[in-house]
Amino acid sequence: MAFFIVFNYCILQRIFAKKCHCDTSYGHIKILHSLVDKFSIKDNNREYMVAVRRRPISMKEDFAMSYHDEQGARSLDPAVQQMIVRAKEKNIPTVWDRYELMQPQCAFGDTGLCCRHCLQGPCRINPFGEEPKVGICGATADVMVARGLDRAIAAGTAAHSGHAKHLAHTLLKSAEGKAPDYKIKDPDKLKRVAKRLNIAVDGRSDGEIAREVALAALNDFAESEIGVKWATTVVSEKRKKVLSAINAVPRGIDHEVSEIMHRTLYGVDADAVNLLIAGIRCGVADLAGCYMGTDLADILFGTPKPLVTKANMATLKADMVNIAVHGHNPVLSEMIVAMAEEMKNEAMVVGAKGVNVVGICCTGNELMERHGIPACTHSVSQEMALLTGALDAIVVDYQCIMPSLVDVAECMGSKIVTTMDLCKITGAEHIEFREESAAQKAKEAIRVAIEVFKKRKDKAVDIPQVDSTVVAGFSVEAIVAALSKIDPTEPLKPLVDNIKNGNIRGVCLFAGCNNVKVPQDRNFIIMAERFLKENVLVVATGCGAGALMRHGFMDPTNVDRLCGPGLKAVLTAIGQANNLGSPLPPVLHLGSCVDNSRAVALVVALADYLGVDTDKLPVVASAAEAVSEKAISIGVYAVAVGLPTHVGIMVPVLGSPLVTNILTEKVKGLTGGYFIVDLDPLSSTEKLLKAIDERRSVLGL
Amino acid sequence: MKGPKEIFANPRLCTACKTCEIACAVEHSKTKSLYSALAERPQPKRRLYVEPAKTGLNIPILCRHCEDAPCMHACITGAISKTQAGVVITDQDRCIGCWTCVMVCPFGVIGRHLETQKAYRCDRCPDREVPACVSACPTKALIYKEAEDFSRDRRVVVATEMFTKE
Amino acid sequence: MEKTDYLIIGASAAGISAALAIRNNDLKGSITVLTDEPFQPYFRPLIPYIITGQKDEQAIGMLGSGPYKDFELEILTNKRVKNLEPLQKIAYIEEGHSVSYHKVLFATGSRPFIPHEIQGTEAKGVYALRTLGDAKSIANRLIETKEAVMIGGGLVNLKASFALLERGIRVTLVVYSPEVLSQLMEPEDAYLIRKAIETSGLTILSGQNVRSIVSDKRGVRGVVLDSGKEIPCQMAFIGKGVRPNVEFLSDSGIKIDKGIVVDECTQCNIPDAYAAGDVAVTFEPISGQRIVTALWTNAVEMGRCAGFNMAGLRTKYTGTFGIMNATQIANTPFVSMGTVHTKGTDYEVHKEYYKDGYCKLVFSNHGRHLIGVVLIGDISIAGLCRYLIRNKMDVSAIKRHIINRTLSYGHLMQ
Repeated sequence: MAFFIVFNYCILQRIFAKKCHCDTSYGHIKILHSLVDKFSIKDNNREYMVAVRRRPISMKEDFAMSYHDEQGARSLDPAVQQMIVRAKEKNIPTVWDRYELMQPQCAFGDTGLCCRHCLQGPCRINPFGEEPKVGICGATADVMVARGLDRAIAAGTAAHSGHAKHLAHTLLKSAEGKAPDYKIKDPDKLKRVAKRLNIAVDGRSDGEIAREVALAALNDFAESEIGVKWATTVVSEKRKKVLSAINAVPRGIDHEVSEIMHRTLYGVDADAVNLLIAGIRCGVADLAGCYMGTDLADILFGTPKPLVTKANMATLKADMVNIAVHGHNPVLSEMIVAMAEEMKNEAMVVGAKGVNVVGICCTGNELMERHGIPACTHSVSQEMALLTGALDAIVVDYQCIMPSLVDVAECMGSKIVTTMDLCKITGAEHIEFREESAAQKAKEAIRVAIEVFKKRKDKAVDIPQVDSTVVAGFSVEAIVAALSKIDPTEPLKPLVDNIKNGNIRGVCLFAGCNNVKVPQDRNFIIMAERFLKENVLVVATGCGAGALMRHGFMDPTNVDRLCGPGLKAVLTAIGQANNLGSPLPPVLHLGSCVDNSRAVALVVALADYLGVDTDKLPVVASAAEAVSEKAISIGVYAVAVGLPTHVGIMVPVLGSPLVTNILTEKVKGLTGGYFIVDLDPLSSTEKLLKAIDERRSVLGL
Repeated sequence: MKGPKEIFANPRLCTACKTCEIACAVEHSKTKSLYSALAERPQPKRRLYVEPAKTGLNIPILCRHCEDAPCMHACITGAISKTQAGVVITDQDRCIGCWTCVMVCPFGVIGRHLETQKAYRCDRCPDREVPACVSACPTKALIYKEAEDFSRDRRVVVATEMFTKE
Repeated sequence: MEKTDYLIIGASAAGISAALAIRNNDLKGSITVLTDEPFQPYFRPLIPYIITGQKDEQAIGMLGSGPYKDFELEILTNKRVKNLEPLQKIAYIEEGHSVSYHKVLFATGSRPFIPHEIQGTEAKGVYALRTLGDAKSIANRLIETKEAVMIGGGLVNLKASFALLERGIRVTLVVYSPEVLSQLMEPEDAYLIRKAIETSGLTILSGQNVRSIVSDKRGVRGVVLDSGKEIPCQMAFIGKGVRPNVEFLSDSGIKIDKGIVVDECTQCNIPDAYAAGDVAVTFEPISGQRIVTALWTNAVEMGRCAGFNMAGLRTKYTGTFGIMNATQIANTPFVSMGTVHTKGTDYEVHKEYYKDGYCKLVFSNHGRHLIGVVLIGDISIAGLCRYLIRNKMDVSAIKRHIINRTLSYGHLMQ
């Protein structure tokens, strides 16, 4: 009873008084912290994990511990490590604290053997063959796991679909003159895309073409006989045949999402194989959504070209108004960047040198690849940027935004600004963004940050002086342009030749997120280091790119240290041919998560050039620290395209040996691609290298 | 001198999530890790059972390691004995799978392993500081304490309740 | 004459468990245990393993394992008591010794009953599996045995059959009742067990009797059935029940009615004399009838009760189920307890065949008490049923769970 009253009081306190609750609700964190005081180990991070290990080991903690290396660090990023210590000092709970409190995590959920799709549940199936062996409706473990996986694929697809749809609406509004702040920055890309979609371009204005392209995009969401254009026109003919044969050509992006929801409803599809085929089809719909997102963003905001910038927290400036854009869609973040310069005077009035825009997560990548906007941090360490005390506001649209940012911001005096009705967070300030008045809305958001700066400008901030040089902006167009300096008529030839002669053993795409279950960046670093030494060309997107950029993998001066001789030769040659004054960076940044479609485009181009299907190339993918359902749907389309796709985090499928087998073995026979689930980065790298070599030998290389 | 630590259960805190059952099975597997235990044959077995007592009330039931264990006396081959630590164990070599112990156990907590034809029960996880089920319980419904301490804690609660009821 | 505080005659289930109970409650009193066997106490249920060769004498010993793990007790072997004077408190041993005591426990057990109707039972190769000695002789004769015939379909014979099957002997079992285990269940209950047995290679001839055993100078050669048919064999096992070993008390004044009659505290009609185990007449808790039981677990329970009483702790024996068996036949576990013979009675009976098993529940006429259970296959609720039967619990509220076999300890907590 007493506890009940106290609990309610805390909630009431939260609602009616914006007092910081650090010291009340999270008292138990204090206890854990006090345990730390008993140890005098130098390394601050190690202290906490040793203290945690002293508690009785739970089942999942054993497991969580096994993920962490001996030092038990939560992040390999030194800036993040510094901020974790600061969080501890200020008693601010972090994602790592919440992860510990969540242990043990439910084994039924972990193995996919839990279902809440109907009110007769919740159901759980015993993973060791004891009762209950099937759900109440009779769903077997195979069906339960398959349905759960399908919903995750649908969710990921819906996210990219929403992102693409938003861009399509924006393009349409721009074409119709309703959103004057948006212009078409790359009319050549517009025409190329139009031609691909069989839209006439000759003698028509950009506005006309754009309108038709936008309408074609919007049409792709609903069901149609001929299938989703952004899927059927972007893969090779051979691949289209393969996908048609297994009924994996999506009929409408949103249609596939909706059908999965129907299919996985109580009492609908109860055949695991059938469910998985639908999942693959939805994954291909996700490819369409991503591809559309990339195309339309390039059209509206420019196709990326290589540029130099910086990453990590030293990109925050104590004497400037710091705004981080977080989320995904450049529809919002581009406006913030555009207005930042205009708002410089308003900032100077309050004593700042100007407005400094930095990026977190994918929207940060979108800005980086087009404007060189620096990246502040990524994914699991998003809260840490606020701990500097210098990040005045985070302006967000949607996806991958932790609700806890609001709590951390409150403690630090910063503000979170939400902009989309689709994504509000209790405790954040909301400025409803309208494309029609984009610039004005962006200014309003920047003003929130300026207000915060006013209050904090005389206070000390703690910005970790950690940053790295980043060369970014490798769209396929940029890569081809760079290669054409070596061979103007057949730009892909030098790339293919070097693959053939072994200078480039193969290609690996790193995608996805940082997961709290892995010390941040560990898997990416271990795997990328190995690949580069083995002359594997590494490309990266999303927070995978984020992880690598923060550890110097996109700094050309590290080519010597990181790359094997063959790869080094190629990167150097291209750099020279382009008069860069340095080699290309060790890892090529392809962009945001929707820009995984750029990787697909490159793979398709190579395959077409070689006259083979995309599943024959020595190209692999790895979501080494995946988190979001988007990572699952992207993984599915990577497999649909024919790539061996590694996931470094357990996906909830082990509860069904059948589904696990289909995803890792049987699907090879359908698409040529397959999943490799391996939590150990070293053995994962070996498996991927083996896959690359297998492909090479089939090609006769 | 206090007796050994025993496993107690508070039914008011039990949500019947059955995490304890899984943790027990995993701890008694060969590889002791959930993901690899799934593939083991014979499949690992749980030693405790979450049973409904009545609507809304559930309780994990496991071997009490009785002081004067009925199973020990009833065993027709002398396979069951009590260790120094107070744990009742079945000698797997001597057990012939007659299940007399299953029949006499007043709590129904002796399991039959149909593949190996041996009886098994909770062993209080001798390789761990704290039994797997207790560590795994997300609501702290399972408690690992000496009986004396457990009773004392209960007395403290009762005393406080008596006082505050006025 | 030797003197002792506690004299225990018989060193098997009842005797040793009584000794342990005494020692736990009286740390000083002297305990003397006599047995007429040449062996140290052993777990009788394990002797089929002597036949199969899987275990040896050491491996089946009582002292040093189970509850007797740390129990030190001196056993005097090869000492048969020829008679006893309970009022004088003196026991006379065959070689001429005598022992004077304060309290005595008769735990002499029972011996196999050999029906006189069967001729030729003195031949070499005719066995009634009871003692370690029997098991050893059987094991020795195995080498010249190809076929064996079991006379009687009780549990002992079934256990022996499987032991022999394991040694490659062809076994035929002749039983008069329509099914085996007639003492433990009704014929239709035993159907699943019969099926399990037949798949294991044991041939069962039911509704038949053995008239005589024929032999030559090498021993048993065959058995002849009532019908006149002869079945060749080199071993014959008689499993026709047991008789309590009470002959040594015939002139003693101790009340005997088939077995030694005892009260609720296992005490005989003469003070300071107790009896427990197969030799004692006890009572069935449901019907109140007097019965003699021949089960290890019951003997242990009675022995412990006797031991407590002898050490001064007045303890009542709550009666034993005449039928209380739990074991495995051909990989099929079964439990049978309480009143399970229901033909011609008014009891409320629930029978259910389910996948791989069978369950028969017997409730009292008014349906409120559980009085008997036969479980074949899934025996998980056996322990709880025993509790319900013994304590005569009103099961109205949980009857549905019992019938569905979803009973758990949680239900008993309401």
